[in-house]
Amino acid sequence: MKSITKGSLIFIGLILTLSFFIGCTTEEKKTIIFADPGWDSVQLHNEVAGFIAIHAYGYDSWQQITGTTPITHEGTIKGEIDVHLEEWTDNIASYTADRDAGKLKEMGVNFDDNMQGFYVPRYVIEGDASRGIEASAPNLKTVQDLALYPDVFQDPENKTKGRIYGSIPGWEIDTIMFNKYEYYGLDENFIYFRPGSDAALAAAFTSAIDKGQAIVGYYWEPTWLMGLYDLVLLEDAPYIDEESYMAGKTECPAVVCTTAVSNAFYEKDPAFCNEFVANYKTSSALISEALAYMSNNNASAAETALWLMKTYDNLLDLWLPEDKAALVRQAL
Amino acid sequence: MKWLIDFPFEITINKKAIDSAVRAFSVKHDAFFSAITSGLNGLIGGIHSLLNIIPWWLFILAIFFAGWKSTGKLKNGIFFALAITVIGIAGLWALMLETLSIIIAAVIISLFFGLPLGILLAQFDRAEKIARPVLDTMQTMPVFVYLIPALLFFGLGKAPAVIATTIYAIVPVIRLTSLGIRQVDKEVVEAAKAFGSTGVQTLIKVQIPQAKATIMTGVNQTLMMAMAMVVTCSMIGASGLGMEVLMGVQRIEIGRGLIAGIAVVILAIVLDRITQGIAEKGQTNGKQ
Repeated sequence: MKSITKGSLIFIGLILTLSFFIGCTTEEKKTIIFADPGWDSVQLHNEVAGFIAIHAYGYDSWQQITGTTPITHEGTIKGEIDVHLEEWTDNIASYTADRDAGKLKEMGVNFDDNMQGFYVPRYVIEGDASRGIEASAPNLKTVQDLALYPDVFQDPENKTKGRIYGSIPGWEIDTIMFNKYEYYGLDENFIYFRPGSDAALAAAFTSAIDKGQAIVGYYWEPTWLMGLYDLVLLEDAPYIDEESYMAGKTECPAVVCTTAVSNAFYEKDPAFCNEFVANYKTSSALISEALAYMSNNNASAAETALWLMKTYDNLLDLWLPEDKAALVRQAL
Repeated sequence: MKWLIDFPFEITINKKAIDSAVRAFSVKHDAFFSAITSGLNGLIGGIHSLLNIIPWWLFILAIFFAGWKSTGKLKNGIFFALAITVIGIAGLWALMLETLSIIIAAVIISLFFGLPLGILLAQFDRAEKIARPVLDTMQTMPVFVYLIPALLFFGLGKAPAVIATTIYAIVPVIRLTSLGIRQVDKEVVEAAKAFGSTGVQTLIKVQIPQAKATIMTGVNQTLMMAMAMVVTCSMIGASGLGMEVLMGVQRIEIGRGLIAGIAVVILAIVLDRITQGIAEKGQTNGKQ
């Protein structure tokens, strides 16, 4: 009995020492950590940036920490995440305050041409002869017009009312879309339904489109869903100012998506931040195209990143200094 | 040497084919699944409006009596009633009723299918052997794996929430019903048979009453596991206390999340103690 205890103690000790040494050796590797708030456009950015970090800036590996929008934002402030390539500034209530207080470093704008708002599949308005779908809401053009069609978008839980899929709870835009729903008096015969998560919202749209059913709900660009399906953005009053936008009275202006790095990382590797992150700029259309490529060809994010850099070769010159761009081209 | 360290070969599984098969299935049998969805929505809506009709003071009074009678202590009844009152004071009464209607619907369905299945498994060893890995799968399969496909079939909202909750929470009632009946003394069963009872009579008049305490523990566990699914189900759009927690957490509004979380805990503890009290009562009655 005693010898067994002794033997196992020695064994455990050995394993501990061994893992300690292995742990020490991996420590020395240079790793860069990106934020992944959980959607695919940012994963694509991470693949592109990770490739560049490894092949032009001498990193050994990169990884991403997955979380929600606020969690990855907090992670960047805490320095647990080095680089955040898609900060949805309007969806983070404290973003401006955090940036101005110097809690993290905003490097540049990734894209600022994206649309968001209430969408319906095109066949709801125009019908689709090839699938035998008749237009169920032919006069639907604006958000206000929805009031005419509660029965088209019937809520399965409360059949006397229609259902509008709202935004993901916790996103700043959720409050705005809810205000809009009240502002246009849609609360009279519609229910503002919070889908709970972006996966659930995407499933609601794909399932409705598969079945040819009518659906109206919040969605945003750039996403694979937008790249893959033909959705129509319902029109709204033109944008005037921040206040009336927050009250839901006007259309959503394009959200500025910035790139940001943690203070600790900026001190550690200013070259990567200033040369690359600050210049990293894409567009909503470009990313939607890439995401649709990914979905259509069943490609991984890594493969799509390579495809993007090869197809739009000139982007490398915009993002990187000449010598670094050459290094990336060589690796491609 | 590389094959000694890295796994030497892989088979590529066509995952895309699984995707399209599931989606095609959901489109093809849409009418069938829609019928189930409306049935479930009817059940949940019915329970919800029933809970809504009960005035708040009557509800608290009922909790008081249930707590008092089931545990046999006046003190407990008062404590439970106060705890539920706290939820109302925090402004979460309506959300609590919504959550309760989902849980009650899931528990009713779990008992409706779970009790007969448990009794069945107790009779046949072979069935028990087949059922075991299935029950294990239902309990350990990560919820999101079937939560998102459930959306394709049942839409978003309370109906898929009840289905996901049932899949997870039905297991203990099946297991403990089967276990309880198997644990009844062989001699008691033989005595019943010696007096000329048929198999069904033995089951209904001897085995099930003897197993009552264990079965009630199963019911209690099912209820608790249904409570544990509340927040998860809010991620597919089931409104109620879980959605309040989710919104608090997503916005880093710690206070909001904490208060809704405490309400979930209070609700769980009160329901647990009351059903446990009933289970223990069954135990003492069984011994007499």
